[in-house]
Amino acid sequence: MTVNSAARIGESSTGKRSDFLQRYSTLVVLVLMFLGFSIFVDRFLTPFNLSNIFQQIAILTIVGAGLTFGFAAKEIDLSVGYTVGLAGILAPVLLVDGWPLAVVLVAVLASGVLVGLVNGFLVTRIGIPSLIATLATGSILFGINFLLTEGRAIYGGIPASYLALGQGRIAGIPNLAFFMLAAVLIAWFVMERTVFGRYIYAVGGNQKAAELSGVRITFYRMAALVLVSVFAVVAGALLAARLGSGQPNVGERYLLDGLATVFIGMTMFRPGTATILGTFCGALFIGVINNGLNLIGMDTYVQNIVKGVIILIAVAIVSRTTKLNLL
Amino acid sequence: MAVTLSDIVMDFPGTRALDHVSAEFRFDEVHGLVGENGAGKSTFVNVLGGSLRSTEGQLALDGQQIRLDSPHDALLRGIAHVSQEGSLVPTLTGAENIMLGAEPRLPGGIMRRRALRSSAQEVAKKWFPQLDLPLDRPVIDLPMAERKVIEILRALRGNIRLLILDEPTATLEAREKRQLWEIIRSLPQNGVGVVLISHFLSEVVELSDRITVLRDGRQVATLDRSEVSEAKLTDLMLRREAGMAASDQRPVAAPAETGECVLSLRNWQAGSVVMPEFDLHSGEIVGLIGLTGAGHFGFARSLYTHQGVASGSIFVGGQAVAGKGIRVMQRAGVALVPDHRMENALAGDGSVVENLSMVHPQFAASRGVINRRRERAEAARIIGQLNVKTPSQNQLIRNLSGGNKQKVSIGKWLYGAGDRYRVLIFIEPTEGVDIGAKREIYTLMRQLAARGAAILIASSDLGEIAQVCHRAIPFVHGSPQPGISAGEFSESRFISAISGEAA
Repeated sequence: MTVNSAARIGESSTGKRSDFLQRYSTLVVLVLMFLGFSIFVDRFLTPFNLSNIFQQIAILTIVGAGLTFGFAAKEIDLSVGYTVGLAGILAPVLLVDGWPLAVVLVAVLASGVLVGLVNGFLVTRIGIPSLIATLATGSILFGINFLLTEGRAIYGGIPASYLALGQGRIAGIPNLAFFMLAAVLIAWFVMERTVFGRYIYAVGGNQKAAELSGVRITFYRMAALVLVSVFAVVAGALLAARLGSGQPNVGERYLLDGLATVFIGMTMFRPGTATILGTFCGALFIGVINNGLNLIGMDTYVQNIVKGVIILIAVAIVSRTTKLNLL
Repeated sequence: MAVTLSDIVMDFPGTRALDHVSAEFRFDEVHGLVGENGAGKSTFVNVLGGSLRSTEGQLALDGQQIRLDSPHDALLRGIAHVSQEGSLVPTLTGAENIMLGAEPRLPGGIMRRRALRSSAQEVAKKWFPQLDLPLDRPVIDLPMAERKVIEILRALRGNIRLLILDEPTATLEAREKRQLWEIIRSLPQNGVGVVLISHFLSEVVELSDRITVLRDGRQVATLDRSEVSEAKLTDLMLRREAGMAASDQRPVAAPAETGECVLSLRNWQAGSVVMPEFDLHSGEIVGLIGLTGAGHFGFARSLYTHQGVASGSIFVGGQAVAGKGIRVMQRAGVALVPDHRMENALAGDGSVVENLSMVHPQFAASRGVINRRRERAEAARIIGQLNVKTPSQNQLIRNLSGGNKQKVSIGKWLYGAGDRYRVLIFIEPTEGVDIGAKREIYTLMRQLAARGAAILIASSDLGEIAQVCHRAIPFVHGSPQPGISAGEFSESRFISAISGEAA
């Protein structure tokens, strides 16, 4: 791998204008989309719809925030969707079984830590690249999810206190929005303001350099993968509360959409680097597109196409000048 | 028969990288191009090689005006650019690399392996009949000099009349350099002009027929071989600083060996190196020299990483170090500034402040939470102390020049560290660093030593060792030889020592 090949345009400083374009083009597109929908779609700019958007992207944002830790350390977790699914099943199964809510939440968190540790062990100790290791563990989790539910959805018997987590509102604002903001704030603080976050970025920025600087790279790579899974199980538990049921295959879409939030996020603020704020904007981006197109009445499959095209355009703008080092 | 560039101006947003530079590159000469990092050498040859379009100015080939829109355009005109970093595919063989992109093929794109081999052989024989290149081995297995030759052959494959060589000998050891010099000299005799960029002024003086000096994007002079000397070139490149140069270059007097012993080795065996006894004292700067493969780099690295260490004990400050590895050595007060800084020391996409705080981020933190103001203040202190030229602490490392990158790589060990590092190990401390920054780094080393640190430098730049070290230890085939003290330093003494001739 050549680290040294970053384009050196002569020996000059970087241009300010192209720098700005790089950093904020996606954000500008997001704002333009928001304005466009506000002007041309009458039901878009209402308090109810805006809080709706937050509800729709809350779970996705939490998954994306977790993935951001992974990307910052240059580790990708392809099992994340099935980890969401695992928590989304485990919580209802245990609740229906009569376990107390607090114990269930601890068990769900523990499952996330366990998945992360297994992924981390395979990646750091055995030495399997995370892309491949998590592809395999994802398949295993997929199987486990179906074993746990015998392929059926779990309805009924879930306590109302639990459902309220995902369905309730405080002062008209969905509970999920608060969970999302809490997750973003915590993740942002850890990444941007702590020594731990510095080390995660150092390991992702140049693993060899971090190692020679005395950073415990095994620990931080592992920690990054554990955090991906922990955020994923929190998202999964909230998903089950929102749906009011445990379903074996609802987590899957959070893999691709989650990755999309991170990729879009990597186009802004610090191009090429995964940041929590970037990921949050990425989730907003997806949320605004989905919501706006929904209100227009566009079919969901057309929405997917539009979403894909817009993501490509955003990333293309940045890729022209910056190398997006994913793996 | 020449390419002429006249009044080239190159503007980048915010800076003028080239300001009316003109040069004529003849096909029967080696034309040296010298200047500090940032003087505009790379920009100038990028214009010549078609990678950049100049803002103003003209290019002419044999008097006819031409326009180059891409490196491919330049190749069609007979201008090839061999960059510093190397552009070989490491896993392909020499022959495959030489013919890369022009493989003889059958319809349907099937490669004719034997024809490829013989075409490559033909190219090699045509240009360098005196060499016996191993064309069938993956280039990753070849010595650096042969890789460079293969790269040059690939450039010469077409109908080339002007070859731009950017730091061709940067990664080579002394003997390999001489071999490559022969090759460079032979090119103009065969009708291929050479544009030579090099930080090694002795090399430029030795090889060039004419030399153009750039400074801050301006053309300072174009001189004939007969008019130049290294001293004169240095002066032209650095005229601003000419006043302080002389005093700065003199080696420091060797310290009395009364400084306490901060690092001792007993029966140290690492890789191929066996070091029965080694003592490094406070205030001392010791150089490790040798040919490539002599083991001095690996030895220096092993003191910090313990990589390849088979046996032996290490004492820091009189205490035996218990345990092994980077973190243990770091805690004991040993630091490593490694070679190949972009691979081993810096995160190119990280900011200056992030990189500076990589070793001790906790300095500015309490309970793991970073206080940004303290962090910035400490980073500013280091940036000031090392004179790192950067527009801001948020600038990405990859946008800095080589010298400033290296300063950050050193600054990592000063940020938040106070004087805790009593042993600093440098490997190739000034590779790809311009003269001005080099001097600053040497001054810093002397300051650190004066404050009581012990410094170990493994370097292939003998001039550097002569300038800063109090003594030098030559390595020959893995075995350290008797040390040479500063009073006896001379190029010939070094060369005979590292080539294993009894002094």
